[in-house]
Amino acid sequence: MSSLAIYQKEAWYDLISVWRTPGFVLPALAFPVVFYLFFGVLFSPAGSTSHAAYMLVTYSCFGIMGPAMFNFAMNIASDRAQGWLTLKRLSPMPVSAYLLAKMATSLVFAMLIILMLFSVAAIFGDVRLERSQWIGLALLLLAGTIPFAFIGLLLGLTLSDKAAPGVVNLIYLPMAFLSGLWLPVTMLPSFLQQLAWVWPSYHLSQLGLKVVAMDQGQPVLLHLAILGLTTAVLMGLCVLVFRRYTGAK
Amino acid sequence: MSTLQTQLKVTGLVKRFAGKTVLDGVDLSLAAGEVLCILGPNGAGKTTLISAILGLIGADGGEIELLGQSQKGTARSMALRQQCGVMMQIGSLSANLTVAEQCDLFSCYYQSGYSAKELVGLAGLESHANARFGRLSGGQKQRLLFALALAGKPKLVFLDEPTLGMDVEARRSLWQQIRQLKQQGVAVVLTTHYLEEAEQLADRVMVLHQGQFIASGSPAELKALTRYKLVQCCTALSDEALLALPGVLQLSREQGGITLHSSHAEQTVLALLTQDNKVSQLEVKQVALEQAFLQLTAPTAEHSNGTKEHAA
Repeated sequence: MSSLAIYQKEAWYDLISVWRTPGFVLPALAFPVVFYLFFGVLFSPAGSTSHAAYMLVTYSCFGIMGPAMFNFAMNIASDRAQGWLTLKRLSPMPVSAYLLAKMATSLVFAMLIILMLFSVAAIFGDVRLERSQWIGLALLLLAGTIPFAFIGLLLGLTLSDKAAPGVVNLIYLPMAFLSGLWLPVTMLPSFLQQLAWVWPSYHLSQLGLKVVAMDQGQPVLLHLAILGLTTAVLMGLCVLVFRRYTGAK
Repeated sequence: MSTLQTQLKVTGLVKRFAGKTVLDGVDLSLAAGEVLCILGPNGAGKTTLISAILGLIGADGGEIELLGQSQKGTARSMALRQQCGVMMQIGSLSANLTVAEQCDLFSCYYQSGYSAKELVGLAGLESHANARFGRLSGGQKQRLLFALALAGKPKLVFLDEPTLGMDVEARRSLWQQIRQLKQQGVAVVLTTHYLEEAEQLADRVMVLHQGQFIASGSPAELKALTRYKLVQCCTALSDEALLALPGVLQLSREQGGITLHSSHAEQTVLALLTQDNKVSQLEVKQVALEQAFLQLTAPTAEHSNGTKEHAA
């Protein structure tokens, strides 16, 4: 067997395994769509043509963060607890195949969420964007799963399988709210607005809003730099924790 | 043995957890086609030993040589992992994948191993090929994990409590598979709580106690190590008279009969019959490995030899 086959099968079976967990699939796919339908489309202020487009960006960010964080955190914590990860580490499977498989699964879910939200936005929300805007937004959102995957990985490597889901929610939901993904950031109290820049999800949503020209006007490079730095720090922490976990010190 | 290739060699292995020494200078070596059984009570360090050998945890001292290659730290090369098979005690697969899918996934990890279909056959789970792991019985799960340990046709296999949760029939069939591995020249390290398993399978038994091997030998040698046999009978002699018989170490009474632990069973029986010619239901028994093992690891093991204590 070639090593490419290992990467393919690992990714395929990770996806199948997650897909067979209704407790993960249903909330991951349904929540962003339902929330967006309510808050972005149905409760759109009268006469506003931009509201649905603005909320499309923020709820898409909210949607893609969830599967990335949950898939990594919960499944890695439970693979560790059950000894599955130990068996895989002892087998000649490259660790990268395991991690990339989880990333691929997160991207498949992100893709599905993007497709559903974009469809809802175009059909029910009357959101009209250039083709380049749709594509740019989708690519940005897919790339935007990376920092959240690292948050999930860090939690999955450190938390017990029992604690992981709760802790992820404790980070995911407040972070989504505080970075203006549920309500526009401008509607938050001013001290929370000041704080919003610490969350990676704020910067991702601002980059997305830039695509539809509704962002707060900070430079693209600033958002990219902060997202990049956050990702680098998370990656470094993951490597440290993983080294400790594998006993390499 | 010496002509066979040494597949595993451990010298002076030390492992400490938070100041507590869990492995205290462990030595062992294992040749191709040999089955080594590591016995020891819970907490003796069996799983720690296997984990350190496999690089799951770092050792604090000592040397480990796997398939002729000296190992540094916790890194184990891909080439080495291709040739080692492992079944750990806590081993649960993804509950949502079927037997056939798990076998397909594991068989793709190995360059020259069994096909997915052969693995399902090795596990004896052809009729459950499409059952998800979460729905299998404990014994079926163990059989699948055993088959996956063999996925790469390994030269060296580690089995940590492989028959846990299996019924008698499944256990015997797994024993048969382990014997086949031995015939194929595979070196097997086995830890178990089932002493019958050690007696059935092991070429060598090593008893691990508080991080050290306190005894090592063939199952027969290990039994002989304990140096005593059980003499059971019904007799009218008093406790004092029985304990005074030559060779007697211990006495216990139950249901009208008595059991003597004797270091020299023949002399004990001779003296017993001389003193009481109405002795009935006389039996002399070999100590089962289980008792030999308990005696070796019991806290009082050092004192019981020679002291005559009354155990009622």
